[in-house]
Amino acid sequence: MEYQKLKEIDIYPLRDMSYDFLGIHLENPFILAAAPSTDNLDMVRRAFEMGWAGAILKTTSVEGNRVDLAYPMMSTFDHEGRKLFGMGNIDLISERHIDEIEHDVKVLKKEFPEKMVAASIMAGRKEDWQSLVERLEKAGADLIECSFSCPQGNIGEDPGKMLAQSLSATELTARWVKEATKKIPVSIKITPHVTDIVEVARAVKRSGCDALTASNSIQALMGIDIRSFSPYPNVGGKSTYSGMTGPAIKPITLRTIAEIARNVDIPILGTGGASTWSDAVEFMAVGAGVVELCTVVMHYGFRVIDDLKSGMSHYLEEMNFSSPAVLVGKALPNIVMHDDLQRKKIRSHINKKLCIACDLCYVACRDGGHMAIDQKPSRVPHVEWERCVGCGLCQHVCPVESCIEMHIMA
Amino acid sequence: MAACPTHINVPKFISMIRTDNIIGAAEVVKTSNALANTCGKICPEEVFCQSVCTRGKQDSPIQIRELHFFATQQEAKKGFSATKIFPASGKNVAVIGAGPAGLGCAFELSKLGYHVDVYDAQKPGGVPRKSIPLFRLAPRELESDTKFLSGFFATKKCLVDSKTFERIHREHDATFLAVGLGRDRLLGIAGEKLKGVLPVLQFLEKAKTAPSKMNVGKKVVIVGGGNVSLDAAATAKRLGAESVVLIYRRGEKEMRVWKGELDEARRQGVEIRFLINPVSILGKNKVAGIKCMRTRLGKQKDKTGRPVPVEIKGSDFTIDADTIVIAIGQTIDANWLGDFERKVGGYVKVRENFRTSLHGVFAGGDMIAGEGTIVQSVSHGKYAARAIHDYLSVK
Repeated sequence: MEYQKLKEIDIYPLRDMSYDFLGIHLENPFILAAAPSTDNLDMVRRAFEMGWAGAILKTTSVEGNRVDLAYPMMSTFDHEGRKLFGMGNIDLISERHIDEIEHDVKVLKKEFPEKMVAASIMAGRKEDWQSLVERLEKAGADLIECSFSCPQGNIGEDPGKMLAQSLSATELTARWVKEATKKIPVSIKITPHVTDIVEVARAVKRSGCDALTASNSIQALMGIDIRSFSPYPNVGGKSTYSGMTGPAIKPITLRTIAEIARNVDIPILGTGGASTWSDAVEFMAVGAGVVELCTVVMHYGFRVIDDLKSGMSHYLEEMNFSSPAVLVGKALPNIVMHDDLQRKKIRSHINKKLCIACDLCYVACRDGGHMAIDQKPSRVPHVEWERCVGCGLCQHVCPVESCIEMHIMA
Repeated sequence: MAACPTHINVPKFISMIRTDNIIGAAEVVKTSNALANTCGKICPEEVFCQSVCTRGKQDSPIQIRELHFFATQQEAKKGFSATKIFPASGKNVAVIGAGPAGLGCAFELSKLGYHVDVYDAQKPGGVPRKSIPLFRLAPRELESDTKFLSGFFATKKCLVDSKTFERIHREHDATFLAVGLGRDRLLGIAGEKLKGVLPVLQFLEKAKTAPSKMNVGKKVVIVGGGNVSLDAAATAKRLGAESVVLIYRRGEKEMRVWKGELDEARRQGVEIRFLINPVSILGKNKVAGIKCMRTRLGKQKDKTGRPVPVEIKGSDFTIDADTIVIAIGQTIDANWLGDFERKVGGYVKVRENFRTSLHGVFAGGDMIAGEGTIVQSVSHGKYAARAIHDYLSVK
């Protein structure tokens, strides 16, 4: 007998993960970043119904700002058989102008008053920035995000230089935007492509804006076809630089958020490379108040919210944390300068019972370490302590969990 | 047959394992399947989930059952996640039989807010508790499920007869029957009463509950051609028999078995001999052997659609045996069911929504379909619960 699929009855209670951020009440820390996934009313509706706490609608601008897209716009950085380790795009802002986005904000706020509906904007002139803000606030937006950092399509300095690469322009423009708001918070989305991210954050703080979104995609050249010498994405044999997102950029973003949070007292919307609930924990631990996701949704769909929520709730329970808000900045005291690190002598220790004699640690140490691992005569490696400096390379190339550990010398 | 009969959301739970959210994965599995841990251990995955795994089109299917079992075990180890309280409907339903179908139905009814009374003459578990061999399912693996389910409804010890059935039926808004197939079919040949001849359910239950008291001798013959007969054969081998011969009156193609189990029995060293029909069991006080005849497959088909085996004249021979296990199928063991409409094989006839011929009484599991898998019975129970809910919602 075959039966139709039933709608399952939940047997587990809803786990409250709500908290306030920038005066906005959020069901959970998971927000959809400004991207194709938030450029369509039906898509955002569906995401909200599935449990996303909020969305930043794809960046819009004033009428007359021509958005001239080139296709294909997507390419990927695949690594050793794993697809989409990084994703590159040469997309631009939304082709839909303020009239349409204003309408979407109104409809979404009416249908989902409990969700955070934010809009992302980009403009040139002061009056354009300000009219965008005024219209969106009036439509009911909970937050305005300003893209000061769209890196796509830029080659050379001007005119493509990103706003957030200039301290004075950042401060001035941010001030225009903040001036135009009545009540709602403003976040400035910045780029990690600067000499000193802290200075940019300080400029935003001085402008009076409420928060930072850190950070935008990483400028990248996604690859070259080695037969035709056409770069990716291949647009009629030619290409341009992409904005790279996805798991590959996570460590860059973590550093960017941490560096801002360590130095400037300003709320941060973390984005850029978070895919899972544990990535979100890491983002929050270095200072993000919420986490915006995009690439994982473009890869696996809105349904990833099920695991984000479930995984986060089980983690909070396991750690006995009352709310996601308590995670914010938890790891910051442990990020120190190199000079302040301990200088205890450590050595590699290989667990012979777990070792599978694969050679990887031996080869890595022989050619990239200190020739401190011997494997004669039985192929089972052993560490020669007088040569080992404790660099840790062997531990990271070892395929067996917990087989190699670093021990402190007595 | 396709996918999971209980409709476990496989992509969802695997994606959770991938992010190391093992408890979340277990919760997904348990939301859909009342006997989650048991099915994780013994479900014939090559027939269900893994047969439709998309990955199989690229290389080989994901080991879905192993992942499922890993998740439910981890959750049991940590302690079951707290479940929610279901708003009471104010109605009560009786479930007769605490096997996979009964438990599956009782769990789903509890979720729908019904007060459920489960009746069984023995502890909950049914076939997985009594007759699935130890080497396939340890008691603790089933108990993980029954312990979890005991938080939702109580199982009352009760040997149901016509009188108690009438009372139970009267006292509840609806009744679900899931008594399974508790009575062994016998061959009806001479010598079947001899010491050392065991019907398969007795044999498996004894082997599971008191293996140290079993002495099967050196030579064991199993008569039958289904999954239960393979379980018996593998069990006999594990109990120390030197030779285990399984005889079946038709060919390998006609066997109704999961391939994995057939391979496993052969790996254990069970000798499987086809086209052999038992004629009589030999021995004085105790069994000594079995007299058989060779068969060939006739042109005629029986009601199961398989060719009828025809004995070949003068082909009789004897196989020595210290123990003979009769595993040729089971029937319903409940005389009080006399009034219910039946179908071929004596199984209780139900309409599409699991309704029996008696108003307000539903039935599912092996008693309506014949010997099936655990997961199919759980699924019967789950769907029957929804049918009962529909019935009680308009009543």
